[in-house]
Amino acid sequence: MLELKDVHTYYGNIHALKGISLTVNDGEIVTLIGSNGAGKSTTLRTIQGLNKPRTGTVTLDGVQLEKLPAHEIAGLGVAQSPEGRMIFPRMTVLENLEMGAYARKDLTSYKDDLEHVLALFPRLKERITQKGGTLSGGEQQMLAMGRALMAKPKILLLDEPSMGLAPLLVELIFDIIKQLNNEGTTILLVEQNALMALSIAHRGYVLQTGEIILSNTAEKLKNDEMVQKAYLGVE
Amino acid sequence: MQHIKTGVIFGVLAGLFTFLFGGWSVTMLGIFAGAGLGLALENKLERGTQLAKAKEALPVALVAGGLMVALSLFGNFVVQPATGKFTALNTIVVAANILGFIAMVGLAMLTASFRGLDEKKEKTAKTILLAAIVIAFPFIDVFMNLRWTSNIIFALIFVILGLGLNIVVGYAGLLNLGYAAFFAIGAYTTGILSSPQHDIFLNFWLVIWLAAGMAALWGFLLGAPTLPVRGDYLGIVTLGFGEIIPVIFKNLIDVTINEPLTCWIIPGIQRLFGATSTVACINLVSHMDLTAGEKGINPIGRPILFGYEFQSNNTTPWYFLIILIIMLTVFLIQRMYKSRLGRSWMAIREDELASAQMGIDPVKTKLAAFAIGAVFAGFAGAFYAAYIRAIFPSVFDFSASIIILCVVILGGIGNINGVIVGGLVIMTADRLFLPALKDFLKGLLDFTILPALSSNPGLQAAVSQNANPILYRFLLFGLTLVIMMRVRPEGLIPSAQMRAVLHADEEIEAVQNDESKKAKKG
Ligand SMILES: Nc1ncnc2c1ncn2[C@@H]1O[C@H](COP(=O)(O)OP(=O)(O)OP(=O)(O)O)[C@@H](O)[C@H]1O
Ligand SMILES: [Mg+2]
Repeated sequence: MLELKDVHTYYGNIHALKGISLTVNDGEIVTLIGSNGAGKSTTLRTIQGLNKPRTGTVTLDGVQLEKLPAHEIAGLGVAQSPEGRMIFPRMTVLENLEMGAYARKDLTSYKDDLEHVLALFPRLKERITQKGGTLSGGEQQMLAMGRALMAKPKILLLDEPSMGLAPLLVELIFDIIKQLNNEGTTILLVEQNALMALSIAHRGYVLQTGEIILSNTAEKLKNDEMVQKAYLGVE
Repeated sequence: MQHIKTGVIFGVLAGLFTFLFGGWSVTMLGIFAGAGLGLALENKLERGTQLAKAKEALPVALVAGGLMVALSLFGNFVVQPATGKFTALNTIVVAANILGFIAMVGLAMLTASFRGLDEKKEKTAKTILLAAIVIAFPFIDVFMNLRWTSNIIFALIFVILGLGLNIVVGYAGLLNLGYAAFFAIGAYTTGILSSPQHDIFLNFWLVIWLAAGMAALWGFLLGAPTLPVRGDYLGIVTLGFGEIIPVIFKNLIDVTINEPLTCWIIPGIQRLFGATSTVACINLVSHMDLTAGEKGINPIGRPILFGYEFQSNNTTPWYFLIILIIMLTVFLIQRMYKSRLGRSWMAIREDELASAQMGIDPVKTKLAAFAIGAVFAGFAGAFYAAYIRAIFPSVFDFSASIIILCVVILGGIGNINGVIVGGLVIMTADRLFLPALKDFLKGLLDFTILPALSSNPGLQAAVSQNANPILYRFLLFGLTLVIMMRVRPEGLIPSAQMRAVLHADEEIEAVQNDESKKAKKG
C-alpha cells in the first residue's frame, strides 16, 4: 500500500535520508528503529509531505505523494501523531479531536469514531473541555494520537507514541496500537523502545544515519545479534 | 455596596460629559448610561425574580441618576458660564434634567430586571432593548438638536472596518498594517464609477458590490505572492502596500496606456531593420485623469431609494443604511466563523504546520481571510465615499490603518461585540468627544483663564496655542493603547479564545507548578 523508493531528503545541505526504500502492506504494523538522528522522523515527515524528497518516489495505493502538498496528502488518508505532538494549544481537547477529522470526506461515522477514541483514552474524556496546552505531557501524547485516529486514516504514522509516558501507560499505548491494527488500521511505527515495537510489529527496518541497514520480520530482527547489541541493549 | 460604586462611575462620567455638550445632552446621556449601568449590574446580580432585581438596582440607579443631574446642573450654572455660555433656568434645562433622571433610573432598573428572566428570554430582552435604543437614537438626536448622528455614522464606518480587519488579524492571526488600502480601493471604485470625474453615474446599490469585489480582488492580488511570508515580515509587506495605494491614487492623474503592438512591437521591429516607423501608435487611454489627485473626486453620487435621494443634511437615512450594512456584516462573519473556513482560520493561527497535517491548505485559508477581510473594507469605502461625497488620498494613509487596528485591539481581538464597542468608543472619542472638549476648553480659555493670565503675555500665548486636545490625538491614542496593553491586553470585551491566548501561559504554568509540587511531595 505504501511504498518509498530510493528517497533522498535534505535539510539545506544536510543529507538526512540517503536512499530510503521501504514498503508497508495493508493491515501491517511496520516499525522503524534506529538511534537518535538516524532519520526516522524525517522519513515520516517525508511521507506526509512536510519535507519534500529531492529524488525518489513515495506512493500510496498507486498515487504518487512526493510532489503533493501536505494538506492534500492528509486528504488521501495519511495521518500522523507527530514527534513533539503539535496539538493546538488553545483549542479544547474536543476541538483538537474535531480538527483531526477535518480532512475526512465521509463523516457519517463521526460520532461513533469520537466515542471510540474517547473509550480508548478515558483520560481525554475526563478533560474534554480543557485547553490542549494545559494538558500534561502524557495527556498531550494521547491527544495527538486520538486526533490522528479521528482522521480514520488508511495509514497511521506514529512517531514515538510512548515518549514521556509512565511505564504502565506505555504498555497501554502498545495494547491500543495492537488493537487498532486488529481493527484493520495499517501502521508505521517509529519507536525508541525497540523491544516493545518489535514485539507488536510484523516487520521492521533498521535505520542508521539516513540509510536502511537491515530489514526483516520483527521476530528475526529481535533475534539478530547486531540489533540486540545496538538497540535492545543485550550484551 | 460594590454595586453603588458602579452607579457612581456611570453617574459621574455621564455628568461630566454634560459639561461638554450642555442642552439636551443630559437626557441622551441618561438613556445611554442607564442602559449601560443596567447591563453592567445585570451581569453581576444573582438570579431572582424580576421585581426583586429591579428593586436591587433601584438605589444604584438613584445614585447614578442623582449624580448625573447634580453635575449637569452644576455644569449649567457654574461651568458653562465660565466658558461664556450663560444659561438660565428655563424649561429646556428643567425638562432635559428630569427626563435624563427618569431615563437613567428607569432603564437601569428595566435592564437589571432582565436578570429575573430565563437565559433565552434574557438574551431576547437585551436584544430588543438594544434595538430600541439603536432605532430611536437618530430621532431623539434630531429632536434634541444634538447633531451626534453624523459622528456616530463615522464611528460605525470604523466598526465595519474593524470587523473586516478582525477576520485577518483576529481570526487568521495575520498582521495587516495596511488595511486602509482596501478602504481606499472601495472608496475610489465608488468615486470613479459614480461621479462627474468620468461622467459615469452608476447606481450606489450596484457600486457598493463592485467596490467590495474590487477590494477583494486586490486583497487576493496582494495576498497571493505575500502570504507565504510569515509574521513580522507580512506586517512589513502590508505596511508597504498601505503606503503605496494612497500614493498611486494621488498620482493617477495623467494616465496614458499605449496599445503595445502598434506603439512598441511593430515600430521596434522596423527600427531593428533600420527603417523609420510607419504605423501610427494607437493610444488606448491618453492623458486621462483617473483620480483627480490631491484635489480629490467630488461630488460623488448618493444612494437613491424608492425615488428618494439621500441628502447630506439629513443624516437619519444614512444612519440606518450603515446599521443595515453592519447587520449584514455581522451576520456574514458569524456564519463564516462557525463554518469550516472559520475553523481552519483558528487552526492556522494556532499552528500552521499542524494545520497542514490536518488537511488544511494554509495558503488558501490565509488568502481567503485576506480577500474576505478586504470585502468589508470595500463596503465601508463605498459608504464613506457616498456619504462624504468627496475623497482624497490623504484620508487613507498609515494613520487610518493604525486606527482600525486600534479598534480591533482595544475592543477585543477576535470578538465581534468587542470590535463594535472598540469602534464606537475610539471614534466617538475622536469625532465627538475631542472636538467638544476643544470647544469647551477654548471657551474656558477665552472667557476665564486667559484674562486671568493677562499679566503674563508669554504664558498666555503658550497656553492658548497648546490647549487644543485635537493636537494630542495620536498621543492620546498611544497612551490609551499602552495602558490597555498593560491592564487588559485582551481588550474591552475579549473573546474566550483570545483570553486563553493571552493567559494560556499563566494557566499552563499553574498546571505545571501544580504537577511539580505534586511530584515533589510524591
Ligand atoms: N529542521 C532541520 N534542519 C536541519 N537538520 C535537521 C532538521 N531536522 C532534522 N535534522 C537532522 O536530520 C537528521 C535526522 O533527524 P530525525 O529527526 O529524522 O532523526 P530521528 O531518527 O527521528 O531521531 P530521534 O530518535 O532523536 O527522534 C538529524 O541529523 C537531524 O539533526
Ligand atoms: Mg525523531
